[in-house]
Amino acid sequence: MTLTLQPIRVATGFDEDGMMVLDRQRLVAVLVHLADDNEVAPGHWYLEAGFGRIDGASHPTFASLDGAQDWIAQRLARHP
Amino acid sequence: MHASLHPHDNPLIRKLESVFTLTEDERQALEALPMQVMVIKDDQDIVRMGDRPSRSCLILSGFAATYKVTAGGKRQIVSFAIAGDIPDLQSLHLKTLDTSIATISTCRVGFIQHEALRNICLLYPRIGAAFWRETLIDAAIFREWVMNVGQREAYQRMAHVLCELLVRLRAVGLAEDHACDLPITQAEFADALGITTVHVNRVLQQMRADGLIVSKGTQIKIPDWDKLKQAGEFDPAYLHLESDQAAA
Repeated sequence: MTLTLQPIRVATGFDEDGMMVLDRQRLVAVLVHLADDNEVAPGHWYLEAGFGRIDGASHPTFASLDGAQDWIAQRLARHP
Repeated sequence: MHASLHPHDNPLIRKLESVFTLTEDERQALEALPMQVMVIKDDQDIVRMGDRPSRSCLILSGFAATYKVTAGGKRQIVSFAIAGDIPDLQSLHLKTLDTSIATISTCRVGFIQHEALRNICLLYPRIGAAFWRETLIDAAIFREWVMNVGQREAYQRMAHVLCELLVRLRAVGLAEDHACDLPITQAEFADALGITTVHVNRVLQQMRADGLIVSKGTQIKIPDWDKLKQAGEFDPAYLHLESDQAAA
């Protein structure tokens, strides 16, 4: 599975530095980079939104973009 | 340790009096209710789902939460318990617990044997009715929370829960004016509101910026009560408090 990342500004009202995650040209998730002074997970990537198999109640934060991509790839692969 | 509490230290009496006027005999019977008092540290289970308890737990001080956990390990807090609450009072009649109850902060908990509760209900039918009423109000709170989590936006959910906590704390004398100690973490609010901790953090920042809350450590102050009530669509009718002033 090849995921591609594309930078995007996200109008969260807070941190806006984000990344669209695409699976073969289809948007599967939007990640937002939390600020270094964030009280919850400073500097982490937050799964702001997920679509299809990424949709649901789970919105984890990841220390790195690689970690986020691995998690998303696993979710997409779980149900063939 | 078996002990009866000084009436001023017994939040159960204050709690019942917030929904019901007690006679002197009834107050004395409640004061004499035997209980085993234990101090339980924060984040510990008091009782667990599946337990078949022979006693109920009265929160004497501190904050606790009633919760359930999904098969995947995700926790939903279904209500907060504060001093004066008996969050597993239903176990008097429902033998197997269908929820767990954990401390949020260090709690003093008074364990009251079901037999003692049954006796006081038999001797003082009005107290039995008051306990029944308590469990009905608990159910009203659960209904309100389903509404909150299912239909309100995150900002409204938080405003609503803050309003509820303040009114309930005030009813047992634990909030002055519109300020109180609220040792609930952002992660615990997330579990109660069905949103992520990141989202709770954003909502609280927004509420501070909007002048709805001022917080310092675990102390929280509501500078504009009407504005917070409006933000949370909060109508205290479901708490069924006897005094209208409690919710003013």
